[in-house]
Amino acid sequence: MTRSWSFLLAQRAVRGCARGVSFALLFLSMLAPSAISAQDAAIGRITGRVIDVETGQGIAGVGVQIVGTTLGAMTALDGRYTIIRVPAGTTTLQVRRIGYAAKTVTGVLVPAGSALELDITMETAKAELSAVTVSASSERGSVSAALDAQRKSVNIVNAITSEQIAKSPDGDAAQAIQRVSGVSVQDGKYVFVRGLGERYTQASLNGARIPSPEPERRVVPLDLFPSGLLQSITTAKTFTPDLSGDFSGALVNIQTREFPARRSFTLSQSVGLNANVIGADLPAAVTTTRDLFALGADRRRVPAFVRSFGSFDVPPTQDETNFMVNSFRNRWSPRTESGTGNTSTSASLGGTSTLFGTRLGYLFSGTYGMSQDAQVDQVRALALAQDAINEIDRFEGTTGRQSAQWGGLMNVSAFLGSTSRITLNSTYNRTMDNDARRESGLSENLGLPFDINRLRYVERSVQSSQLSGEHELGRHRMEWAGTLSGVTRAEPDRSEIVYIQDQNGGPSFWFSGAIEGAVRTFSALTEDSYEGKASYQYTMGDPGRQLKLKAGGLYRFTDRTADNFVYQLTASRLSQEDLALRPEQIFDGRFTQEGMNFFTVRPFGTVGGSYAAEDRLVAGFAMADWQVSDRIQIIGGARYESSDPVITAQPSVGATIVSNPSFSDLLPSLALTYRMTDRQALRFSGSRTLARPEYRELAPIQYREVIGFDNVIGNENLVRTLITNMDARWEFYPSAAEVLSLSVFAKEFTNPIERVYLGTSGTRVITFQNAQGASNLGVELETRTSLGRLAEQLNAFTVFTNATVMRSDIQLDATQASVTRDDRPMIGQAPYVVNAGLTWSPGSGTTSATLLFNRVGERITDAGEIPLPDVKELPRNVVDVSLRFPFVYGLSARFDAKNLLDAPFRVEQGPVTREAYRFGRVYSLGMTWQR
Amino acid sequence: MSLFTRLRAGLLLGATVTLVACGDDDDNNGPTVPPTPTTPPAGVSVTGVSSTSVRVSWTAATGATRYVVQRAPATGDFAQLSDTVTGTQYLDAGLQPGTPYRYRVAAVRAAGTSDFSTVADGSTLAPGRGSATITANIATSRTLFADTTYTLSGFIQVLSGATLTIEPGTKIIGDFDVPGSSLFITRGARIVANGTAQNPIVFTSERAVGQRQPGDWGGLIIVGNAPINRTGQVIIEGTGTGSANPPQVYSGGNNPTDNSGSLRYVRVEFAGFATATDAELNSFTFAAVGSGTQMEYLEALAGLDDHFEWFGGTADAKYLVSYESGDDHFDMSEGFSGRLQYLVGYQSTVLPPRPAAGSPSSDPQGIENDGCAGAGCTDGQNSAPLTVPVVANFTLIGTGPGVVPAGGGYGMMIRRGTGGYYVNGIVADWPNAAIAIRDAATNTRITEGNLLISNILQMNNNAVFQTPNGTSVFGLDTTANNIRSAAGTTASVFLGLTQPNFDWTPSATSPAREGGLATFPAALATKAGTFVTGTAYRGAANPSGPKWWQGWTTYARN
Repeated sequence: MTRSWSFLLAQRAVRGCARGVSFALLFLSMLAPSAISAQDAAIGRITGRVIDVETGQGIAGVGVQIVGTTLGAMTALDGRYTIIRVPAGTTTLQVRRIGYAAKTVTGVLVPAGSALELDITMETAKAELSAVTVSASSERGSVSAALDAQRKSVNIVNAITSEQIAKSPDGDAAQAIQRVSGVSVQDGKYVFVRGLGERYTQASLNGARIPSPEPERRVVPLDLFPSGLLQSITTAKTFTPDLSGDFSGALVNIQTREFPARRSFTLSQSVGLNANVIGADLPAAVTTTRDLFALGADRRRVPAFVRSFGSFDVPPTQDETNFMVNSFRNRWSPRTESGTGNTSTSASLGGTSTLFGTRLGYLFSGTYGMSQDAQVDQVRALALAQDAINEIDRFEGTTGRQSAQWGGLMNVSAFLGSTSRITLNSTYNRTMDNDARRESGLSENLGLPFDINRLRYVERSVQSSQLSGEHELGRHRMEWAGTLSGVTRAEPDRSEIVYIQDQNGGPSFWFSGAIEGAVRTFSALTEDSYEGKASYQYTMGDPGRQLKLKAGGLYRFTDRTADNFVYQLTASRLSQEDLALRPEQIFDGRFTQEGMNFFTVRPFGTVGGSYAAEDRLVAGFAMADWQVSDRIQIIGGARYESSDPVITAQPSVGATIVSNPSFSDLLPSLALTYRMTDRQALRFSGSRTLARPEYRELAPIQYREVIGFDNVIGNENLVRTLITNMDARWEFYPSAAEVLSLSVFAKEFTNPIERVYLGTSGTRVITFQNAQGASNLGVELETRTSLGRLAEQLNAFTVFTNATVMRSDIQLDATQASVTRDDRPMIGQAPYVVNAGLTWSPGSGTTSATLLFNRVGERITDAGEIPLPDVKELPRNVVDVSLRFPFVYGLSARFDAKNLLDAPFRVEQGPVTREAYRFGRVYSLGMTWQR
Repeated sequence: MSLFTRLRAGLLLGATVTLVACGDDDDNNGPTVPPTPTTPPAGVSVTGVSSTSVRVSWTAATGATRYVVQRAPATGDFAQLSDTVTGTQYLDAGLQPGTPYRYRVAAVRAAGTSDFSTVADGSTLAPGRGSATITANIATSRTLFADTTYTLSGFIQVLSGATLTIEPGTKIIGDFDVPGSSLFITRGARIVANGTAQNPIVFTSERAVGQRQPGDWGGLIIVGNAPINRTGQVIIEGTGTGSANPPQVYSGGNNPTDNSGSLRYVRVEFAGFATATDAELNSFTFAAVGSGTQMEYLEALAGLDDHFEWFGGTADAKYLVSYESGDDHFDMSEGFSGRLQYLVGYQSTVLPPRPAAGSPSSDPQGIENDGCAGAGCTDGQNSAPLTVPVVANFTLIGTGPGVVPAGGGYGMMIRRGTGGYYVNGIVADWPNAAIAIRDAATNTRITEGNLLISNILQMNNNAVFQTPNGTSVFGLDTTANNIRSAAGTTASVFLGLTQPNFDWTPSATSPAREGGLATFPAALATKAGTFVTGTAYRGAANPSGPKWWQGWTTYARN
């Protein structure tokens, strides 16, 4: 396999990241001065795009000419053009192309020594329509309407653009996407659409699937992507055959920033604080410089000596055990530190230039951020059915967390004539969370009061390199892309230590003889994915009555390995005084000197957590997009997908188990759009999609979950879920910036996969089962309107709301129904999601204020084991505010306040609070300098 | 199948139906004497199965309803073994090793008997030759013979309808190289393992004496069809870890008198492998086992998890010994209502388990009884049927301080709504307390008359009752319930408390010789029936009775 050089660069960044960063910075600093060097007093440039007013897509091969001169240019594939050496001053442009009405734009003001950005729309030629003349200023509104992806799409799509993100307080993609109708975000990272579980949402980056960095779930933590790198986030809620078939709720596509038309350099810096953190005494783990660059996992590896004993079939001698104890990092207790603030820096450079006669567009961007947060008033407990449902194992405490994030992207695009565009896009993002938790409570099973300390460090990375091309020649259009992507997740060296509170008021002492007394966990996951896809489109008919036939295919190879090693450290014969020492004293070597005989080190059910998966996915599709009339458009077709995963799991008992299910499905879809007027449309869509089981869920091994501490067993007999989707939507656009839409949708699930508890004679076990079916029905309402409709003075105010109300019913077979209630919604399905906002944006466009509100209805996180009720996450009201205003010397400022109500996150099971904590209010102030 | 073949098959079927119809008519028309089989059984053959048994088999004779089997030594006369054999084989056991025998078979139809077949010769196997590995599930009834050492390799399941018979003195080992190898008597199957005091049946480790460790293999698991108090699908912990170890469901039973066979003089040693983290198998697991099952003289030693665990069910048992457990000695839960008498549980240390086999428990106890816990306890800890066992004449001796983790170390942990009758016991040397009545739901059992703890001798425990520590922990009126303390060393109470020469008989001066509840109160008497009787003494041994543990128990740590 040949790897592109950018991939090698990214690989290099993984291995020697510090070098990678400095390399990138050097690159930026080299280009930055040249960005501002081209000076010429008398002439300027005009750049921009010519787009189809109907479809919003760029038109290639349009002649753009300065009237009365020989100056001009031909638009490239995406409609982009640049005319250089234009005399400064007011001038007139004319655009022409066969099949479109010619257009003249007057009053174009070209600045001296600088560039003007001007986008122009064109309309298909009709009998009654001849040449059009418009002014440059009026052209802007037409462009903004044409670019409205939501309005132009045939399927049901919601989009957030970089402008909208810039207006919100959102720091990353996870926060930004919450503004899309029907979207909710869990844990600040994981996306749910229309209240469906994460299983039914796919995420892609520039059209290529992002692998999940979590060992147990299929999720993409969208907080990996800083908002500064985003061009748009589109959420397709209905399926067309050219999209990946394994989604039902939505396909979230993150598009990284396209290069700006003119050379620009942006530097942003912000500082912030969390009100629960700043100045508060919080548990903290030691954070090193390497940790601050999310490179600390290397220093936390399993000690090689311990690892060399495998599953301890040959047990270590006492001397070897003593050496092992010493070889673990002697870190167990959180320190108490006063919380500090947050900071974030980003820089980007973009522009176009010509290299060997080829026009290149480029964008380089880098970002670094560091933050502290805390979960205060933290409670976790379990429910037990006694005489009534009672709370047991209630632990109260605090978690402090230090996080760092950095990443960058490099996007280089080349236009080859007016028929081709080649793009190379590489991104790399890396995050680190360093947690320290203290908690105290009473264990029901053991009847003892405990103090439990935990240190946990998690590092994640996502990288993607994509080479893609578009070629258009007359009626033929070809698209292709090759993508190498990878994720890593390392949770190296989690430590947990349990002390027993002395009932007579003495010091707590180590729970030394118990397997849970001192545990170290090392887990790692890597997944690499190689994807190639290509499609061909042939267009028949004239603009406005076109029939587009499209066919294509995709092949993806995925390779995943997940490892999990857990060790327990126990001791006997230590005196009560010794056990009352701090853990760092007990483990400092004083009890492991030669000849001493206190400690035992053993695997804690070690090997069962490791598995590997290889998956080959082949897909092909054919579809037709037919503009039947001015008003009616139909897209129909089918996609075939065949997945052939091989999962190799190492159980704790016996030989390796290989599961090799195979899923092949034909996924038809049909979508119809009826544009009743220019401002109203009706859309209908029906499709079949699927959701495949996760690799981990298919591995028939039992092991202790890294995250939830429950024993989990896979089910090799799982089948994929088939989903029949029906959507209908009415849309009304009163003006370019306003929208009112109403949708109804129905989804019928066959064999949805549910995570359920298995009744056993001992330890709780979680497994995955296909329920018989489920049905979801929902209504979605979206409005965005200017308050100027009420009174002229309120013109600057825009309100928007989107609300989704759903009803879900699961159908279980008799065995499943005997373990959990069967008159409940699907797990993870919320009954409603509401987003609302108010924006104040007076004329200039540089000052704005936004108030945002979000609330998600109560949803089941775990189906309760009879007779316990279901475990439910309660709704919480979230209010965010952000302000944008210009400052001095080309600086603009932003102030953001998030989570202003600081409503607690709560998960309840009947009368029992299973989990609760508060995040705290977060304030930040930022400056951006651009030129 | 071609059209022609189908036609022919159809015609034959039609002819058969016609013939059967004719036969019915004949019955009505008067007696018919069936013809004597003109030919004796053919193809008689003799195969050595073990050093003491051979299998005689033959092909069926037309019209035969049963067969006569006769045996003769190499020289000498034939003697009749059986004239009631209905199948086409006969297992002849109790023979001399490596010895030739002769067999002949005749067929019987109604009153007529055929001539004897030609004589077939065969020998038993040479002595000591017997060793066999069991790798497949046992779907049809099978006997394991005493001269053969059997290795269980994998999760061996005796399937519904089959009976596994084990001869006295048979040794069965768990394959060390296939970790967790176990024997499952599944629901609907039976085990008949009747050893003797001289020749107990031993399930043990494959490793050599001195190298054996808890968790060397899985354990003996019996699943019956008696009720439990959990609804829904409940499986045995440690099963369902893969296709070779399918989930063993034990909920949903409805036959309190279900019969899973019988166990007499059986030892289970060095069992308890954890097939998943924190999911060890017990030495003896009795899941929903019914009262039709006979159990007495059982010993578990050096297991990694509980030694005897009953999940619901109604099975009775007597004469149980538990030595050096990795968790609890006796564990009853989920509506167990059987009756147990004469129990010994002894703990002096925590044995290091087989590496990677699992871990000793954080809370080992003498008795750990739960009412209902987990999914399917429809009425919480009041779910019916309540856990109400009779436990009489028990001797539970703990480690003393400093050996087991702080969470465990109770002689009797009674919790989560458990009831029952616990009488005539000795509870000594437990590092936390003799007795824990751990929560309100359990205390309710006392007030409603479903929990009786009385006539207990407690000594050298850290406390009589668990001390409150924030949860609701209850005590008892020690005087009214005859919970008496004694001074002196625990060793002074018994005739022998030195390893490995235990004699559980009360010493001449032992307070255990008396203080027992000889006459049961009405509720207990009703439940005890004739299976459990009151005694004047306390503990597992009658001062003047037989030393029931002698000969078949052993006390090995490795």
